[in-house]
Amino acid sequence: AARMAAPTREERTACWGARDEFWQCLDSHGDDTAKCEKLRRAFESRCPQQWVKHFDKRRDFLKYKKKLETEGYIPPEAAGKS
Amino acid sequence: AGLAGAAWLYLRREKEQRLRQRRLRDLRALALGQGDFQLQDTSGTPRTRADLLGRWVLLYFGFTHCPDVCPEELEKLCRAVELLEGVPGLPPVQPLFITVDPARDDAAALGRYLRDFHPRLQGLTGTAEQVRAAAGAFRVYVSAGPPDPDGDYVVDHSVLTFLLGPDGLVRDCYGRSRTAEELAKSVRGHMESYEPLPA
Repeated sequence: AARMAAPTREERTACWGARDEFWQCLDSHGDDTAKCEKLRRAFESRCPQQWVKHFDKRRDFLKYKKKLETEGYIPPEAAGKS
Repeated sequence: AGLAGAAWLYLRREKEQRLRQRRLRDLRALALGQGDFQLQDTSGTPRTRADLLGRWVLLYFGFTHCPDVCPEELEKLCRAVELLEGVPGLPPVQPLFITVDPARDDAAALGRYLRDFHPRLQGLTGTAEQVRAAAGAFRVYVSAGPPDPDGDYVVDHSVLTFLLGPDGLVRDCYGRSRTAEELAKSVRGHMESYEPLPA
């Protein structure tokens, strides 16, 4: 398989910028991805697919961490219906 | 009162000295980073552990296809080196990067990647076996993820920056939460209290 070159510094910066714009949109629309379609597509076009997956997971983790910090940990059995 | 103060300071220094010695013995017993490695630098020149002796080294394991952590940690490491360069009288620190993704990070790829960070930042790569041995010597966890349809993948790995002393012993290691300023301060502390471990 052909080896892809790693993103350059400029490409990294562009990817992170697109990611941040997308995340800011999500933040101001209560994570409604439907409202941020355009920025999502820009993010996906600017970043390698593996990075998109990585950042999606990171956002989920950051949100979960924030939830733990604000709401505290609720064990699954006690949580009831989600 | 002056005598008591002087005695207290003396005792405290003695205690700090004993703690440092104990820590060094523990580090040596841990044998982190001991054992030779055979790698190549970005110009293809073979490098072994012996090439690192005689200098302070800040070492980070990472890979060039890394989404965010490696560039951030490298920026931090290089910023710490810059801060230390600004302190008169300190020996220079060698910033060093070892890849955990030798399949893609050959000498040329490493050279291109590291150019962006610090002029003295060096990189090492090698065969899969050589890199595995080097990472293993530092107890660095490495696990390549599944490739996507076009062959791209990320490598999960421990995120650690190691400080090596001129005698080759790992003197400290720093995780993601430490800032460049904290790194520089810690390295400076190690340099100023440096005693080579007796053989």
